[in-house]
Amino acid sequence: MSKNNIERISGRAPDELRNVSIKAGVIKNADGSALIEFGKNKIMAAVFGPKEVHPKHMMVSDRAIIKCRYHMMPFSTDTRKRPNISRREIEISKVIREALQPAIIMEDYPRTAIEIYIEILQSDGGSRCAAINAASTALADAGINMRDLVTACAAGKVNGQVVLDVDDTEDKTGEADMPIALLPNTGLITLFQLDGNLSKEEFDEALELAKTGCDKLYKLQRDALSEKYFDNKNGKTEE
Amino acid sequence: MKTNSVERKYVMPGDVVIEGDYNPIANVIKDGNKIISTKVGMAEIAYNGVRVIPLNGTYIPRIDDVVIGKVADMNGFAWEIDINSWFFGILTGSAVFGRQFSSSRDSMKSQFNKGECMIAKILSFDRTRDPLISVSGPGLGKIEEGEITYITSSKIPRVIGKKGVMIKLIEENTGCRMTIGQNGAILLKGTDEARTKARDAIKLIGNQAHTSDLNDKVISLISK
Amino acid sequence: MPAVKKHRIVDSITRESIMSNLANSTRLDKRGLLDYRNIEIETNILKDKTNGSARVRIGESEVWAGVKVETAHPFPDTPAEGVMTCNAEMLPISSQYIEPGPPDENTIELSRVSDRGIRESGMINIKELCIKEGELVYSVYIDVAVINEDGNLFDAVSYAGTTALLMADMNKFTIEDDKVKILDERQPLPIKSLPVSTTFAKIGDKIIIDPNADEQEMATARLTLVTDENGKYVSAQKGKPGGFTFDELKEISVISKEKGEEIRAKIRKAVDSGS
Repeated sequence: MSKNNIERISGRAPDELRNVSIKAGVIKNADGSALIEFGKNKIMAAVFGPKEVHPKHMMVSDRAIIKCRYHMMPFSTDTRKRPNISRREIEISKVIREALQPAIIMEDYPRTAIEIYIEILQSDGGSRCAAINAASTALADAGINMRDLVTACAAGKVNGQVVLDVDDTEDKTGEADMPIALLPNTGLITLFQLDGNLSKEEFDEALELAKTGCDKLYKLQRDALSEKYFDNKNGKTEE
Repeated sequence: MKTNSVERKYVMPGDVVIEGDYNPIANVIKDGNKIISTKVGMAEIAYNGVRVIPLNGTYIPRIDDVVIGKVADMNGFAWEIDINSWFFGILTGSAVFGRQFSSSRDSMKSQFNKGECMIAKILSFDRTRDPLISVSGPGLGKIEEGEITYITSSKIPRVIGKKGVMIKLIEENTGCRMTIGQNGAILLKGTDEARTKARDAIKLIGNQAHTSDLNDKVISLISK
Repeated sequence: MPAVKKHRIVDSITRESIMSNLANSTRLDKRGLLDYRNIEIETNILKDKTNGSARVRIGESEVWAGVKVETAHPFPDTPAEGVMTCNAEMLPISSQYIEPGPPDENTIELSRVSDRGIRESGMINIKELCIKEGELVYSVYIDVAVINEDGNLFDAVSYAGTTALLMADMNKFTIEDDKVKILDERQPLPIKSLPVSTTFAKIGDKIIIDPNADEQEMATARLTLVTDENGKYVSAQKGKPGGFTFDELKEISVISKEKGEEIRAKIRKAVDSGS
């Protein structure tokens, strides 16, 4: 356990998540969609597919190809961001795609494309994790065959203390940020990044903490799908 | 144990439906001893296997399915039909004109033009190629009038009902004639009022497909 | 949604229904020719990172607008004027027909028409956006995201952008010893008027207002006309490869003013209850 017990800038406990809500089926034209509010983050994810591949030469004969785009609206950040897509967005698009892909049963959809679009409407730290939570909910909402949902959460180190879910303000002065994503039922980690400075103990602690964050978020993803499809929040009801 | 008893429960992707030596039938995968759902839906566990009836998802063509589609595009020798699936249904010129067919843009248009709707049948399909469809046969062909409404294709069986109970119920109580496409498209024919009532009934089924007393709920809606 | 071609195709029986309804002066969703769909305006939807924001739904079309006010060096030829930029983005989440990538001509048209609708009306007095002549001015950014597309994005983007501007506030500055100093106070933007956009479409010889996606696809011509509260016409754009007669244009201009008034009241109501 960390030696310090400094109060966080946000007033949260070291293992406390920001307020999160997830809603499935928010964009009528999309095959599947979800809106996530994660602290001050507001993110929409939409899934289109399976569908024809454009351009045709990218088609794969025995499975689907996955396309993923993470894009931030100019009004989403403290300083207005120019509309052109940045290198940061391109990299995040890639890691998100690689986090979601292992959960998708691509062989069920040969010669097609599954397109995932993520729009950051308001950004406040931890957006890639929030985006993954929304995107995997949207994939389930679209009826894409999946081995599991994908849940993501970050842990970090702020003021020498290992904490759960670093927000934007904390990130600016923090010493480490570790976003992870996993398949909740198998525990397979499909996103893993690290920025910062962690000792072995801190590394292990952060990983554990991030995992507990994922447990909480998985429940919210299930609630979102239950609410839309099962008219209740349990997710499992005997008829 | 009764061999025809079925256990049902709501599941999501990743949920273990049941553990044991069961036969995976549809929308489930087998991982060692576990049968895992790949979709959001209602799992059914029976003596002959486990399947999940999805509450969403795209229509997957099956041979002999009757579908309702519209012409999305055409080239010199075939029409590409939007059948609400991830590939277009292909209606070849020769299927419509016969073996003497020679590609000529004008005669293609004389039969089916972009945007025109039809009731068709799936002739062949495997996931490596676009499905071939046919419009020859009783009940098939161009749709000249009516209204098309949509529902998730996996819920179509609920619109039909056991031995057609539900579709009969709707038709008799609304005065609307319905032609059901397995791809989730339903053709409604009748007066404005009849079609509106039928549309509402179908919408209710769409929202409540997984619940019990569906027949009663539909009756009470359309009897108003 | 599966296989689709590049653009929307209205199927033949929907087309038939739309045409026969129009012959009886109604539309598929039972609206009159000159009725708007339900308009919902919600303010402060992005309050944490924007100076002002709004979400507008017209029927199923949905857009979110965010206003950000920053400071910048003025353009050399206008040293005492602030800067205003309006940008609308048709996001790929909003429709199966929109591909990601650089904006196509439709997105660019939407963006530029929305920009002119606000700029040409003088809604924001950019002369009052000067902090220190030749050195520092306010730069107002209006960005609008299209979330779901079901026709008439021109009006949705306009209402969201103008509402967000009315909700926005910005920093106050003072000049002390020839240096710019930021104050603790906030102030609203220098808003001079509230332009309201109305969009019409022509199908056959019928003119309808607020076309949905199918109606827009079937229309031969489209017209967006913007008026302000002084009854002045401030911006217009005809789109689609068809045309309007002089009489139709005159008729539209009269209706535009009337409808503009009704919608202006709606916007003001949303702003008042949101502040």
